Amino acid sequence: MDCIITIELGTNAARVFAFDLSGNVIAFAKGHYPTFHERHDQSEQDPDQMFITMLYVLKNLLNDKVYPKKYVVSCICFSASMHSLLAVDKDGVPLGNSITWSDNRGKKEASDLKDTQLGKEIYSATGTPVHPMSSLIKIAWMKNNQQEKFSRTSKFMPIKSYIIQQLTGACVIDHSIASATGLMNIRNLAWDTTALDFAGITAEKLPDLVPVFYSGIALKKEYRKALKMPPSVKILVGSSDGCLATLGAGVWQNGKATITIEDSGAFRVIGKEIIDDPKQQIFNYVLTEKYFVSGGPTSNGGVIFEWFTKQFGDFKNAFDIDHAMDALIREASEVQVGSDGLLFLPYLHGERAPIWNPNARGCYFGVNIRHERKHFIRATIEGILFEMYSIGKTLEKHRQIDSLSINGSFASIPLCTQIIADVFNKPVSTLSHGDSIGVGAFLLSATEMGMFPGLEEASQMVKMHQTYLPNKGDHDIYAQYFRVFENLIAKIGVEFDEISNLQERYGG
Amino acid sequence: MIQLILQQGVSKELVNFPHILEFAYRKNSTIQLNSFSTTVTGCICLYYILDGKFNWMIDSQSYTLFPGDCTIVLPGQSIGGESNVLNIGTLYWIKIAVDEGGKLLMGKWSGLNKNEKLSVNQILIVNKGQLVLKLKEAHILMQNLQAELRNEEVGFFTRVNQLLDELFILISRQLIRQHNSRRDFPQAFLKLEQTLRKDLEHQWTVEEMAALTGMGTTAFTEKVKNYSGFSPLNYLINIRITEALKLLKRGEVNVTDIALNTGFYSSQHFATTFKRFTGYTPSEFRKNNRSKS
Repeated sequence: MDCIITIELGTNAARVFAFDLSGNVIAFAKGHYPTFHERHDQSEQDPDQMFITMLYVLKNLLNDKVYPKKYVVSCICFSASMHSLLAVDKDGVPLGNSITWSDNRGKKEASDLKDTQLGKEIYSATGTPVHPMSSLIKIAWMKNNQQEKFSRTSKFMPIKSYIIQQLTGACVIDHSIASATGLMNIRNLAWDTTALDFAGITAEKLPDLVPVFYSGIALKKEYRKALKMPPSVKILVGSSDGCLATLGAGVWQNGKATITIEDSGAFRVIGKEIIDDPKQQIFNYVLTEKYFVSGGPTSNGGVIFEWFTKQFGDFKNAFDIDHAMDALIREASEVQVGSDGLLFLPYLHGERAPIWNPNARGCYFGVNIRHERKHFIRATIEGILFEMYSIGKTLEKHRQIDSLSINGSFASIPLCTQIIADVFNKPVSTLSHGDSIGVGAFLLSATEMGMFPGLEEASQMVKMHQTYLPNKGDHDIYAQYFRVFENLIAKIGVEFDEISNLQERYGG
Repeated sequence: MIQLILQQGVSKELVNFPHILEFAYRKNSTIQLNSFSTTVTGCICLYYILDGKFNWMIDSQSYTLFPGDCTIVLPGQSIGGESNVLNIGTLYWIKIAVDEGGKLLMGKWSGLNKNEKLSVNQILIVNKGQLVLKLKEAHILMQNLQAELRNEEVGFFTRVNQLLDELFILISRQLIRQHNSRRDFPQAFLKLEQTLRKDLEHQWTVEEMAALTGMGTTAFTEKVKNYSGFSPLNYLINIRITEALKLLKRGEVNVTDIALNTGFYSSQHFATTFKRFTGYTPSEFRKNNRSKS
């Protein structure tokens, strides 16, 4: 029997799924790798640790759970989180760690470029908002701050290209991942010379661009043998986590959008048109030559509720955060819609969409003497979801959206799913499969193998699990509070910069 | 209580306890020049403050200690009063010798088993930048130590060493509690990983790793599996192989040294593990991936 392996190089872990050809999960395993923060704005991962972890997880999964059931691997498909950047020397050896999406060291380079004519041109051409997350800004930052490393670099690549290069020897980057670098022109799918000029590099410094369906690469003999793979095994370069999560959420038809909230979150739609947003709030990433995933990411998802739990939750046993979170959720559900007038701006990590301000900071507003801990809990949850609503509203200016699907551990908490339905005043469906990225990678592989005529047909196979309907009365209350939320953010201007600067100066 | 200063070789009370170099209960009522000059210690020094306010330089950092505070200074670290003066107040201290050439801080006198001694060792060494602890519970232990040493009642020999063990256990647990929130496992795990990476040569046991996070081994193993997908020892092998792979690429260190530096028993053990992971022997891998620059 044939099976398909999907490998996701996520923010915190490598996740590997084995699917049978009908899309049922045969096996799953994950392996964690750490993120190092030497300075508060720095966020790096060890590329070789990621490689070894991925290899170890894959090998154990095959030997323990796939081969004993007599499956033969016919295809391996890759996905990875976007915006990582690794510099390697002329022999392909890493010069330091891989820099992740949440690294903010390029704050100055980004703010200097963003509102200039050049910045607008680059955003419009590449589809990636000008922000420290993008490779464009990271490379420019390195050029300005790490000249020696910059000049020794032979290639700049995302972690996914590095891992694929270790396994196959080929130095390639798929269009999806490339479209999140801020360096690729999303209309002609070639490196954009204006962006490259700004970054200070030429196209030779980047991997070769290939479509997400590209499979002209093969495992090195040693790895193929160590993994006991047949010579026929197909290596599919695949796409990004964001694009595949959207495909795996089955939101292909008009009128649909998907909300993902794990640690961070995003609101996404799929379409044939690029959304060229004059305010530069919306990203456009390439899924295939014909389809784009457009949307907005928030840096403040479940990670903010986790922060709240660590500070204010009740821990029955050491490190038992799941129990503490469950208890808080129960407490929050006792509070009325709107937290009796307590609002929360969730910007503990600065923010990307829709305000794109790394200096934004959090705020509880409207506290009165009757508010208790339980109000703060609910306000925290509502604040995170209000933020998702404000991203959704920027997309609704360009697309008609009638229904939503959700995925990710935070959005899937029933209380959160219901709040999303009420705030948006739209029906919200949960997916029957827990991991949309894995499902997306499976659908991509199955389409490449000819099991579906195209991705659109493939996406029809995604099953919804349960639908939450909005409560009109609750929506009206949320709508009134949301107006205050929105106005509040608009009114805080320079104070975000001032407090962030003071925190940098005195906050250690 | 009257003051008491016992010294090894001088006080008969310490004849049975060659590891206790000094035990003191001191009320200091005047400030005298050079009463506490900074010296590098060759033994373990424990101070517990009962009364007053003490300004000390410990390992070149200044600290203010208040009643209920305890500080532990390890061999090679320095301690002394600011301006070399002992402030006015009351305090206990005890100085304990470490075995000549012995790797363990706690010598044969201790009733802890080998793994426990190793764990206490790791905790003290890893946290040696965090020297001052709030530790009111140490007061009663110090009082009891004083009484046992002075009264020499039946069973005192065993009791004194037991009290010292208790003191070390208390300090280790407090170090972990004070520096780990016990709420944030990802952070505790990251700290552990950084500690492991700093000393990959060491033959880490699960007990030691668990102790550094302040957990029991069973709970620790389960938590690590859930969080990382690996058992603690497999996670450790993962880090060892990662580090070895980097060194192989860099091409400066020979393969045998890489094996030992990254904690493998032998180059043979390294070669088989590396091949099992990657399909390459270390030297094949190096030939294919070495950086020439």
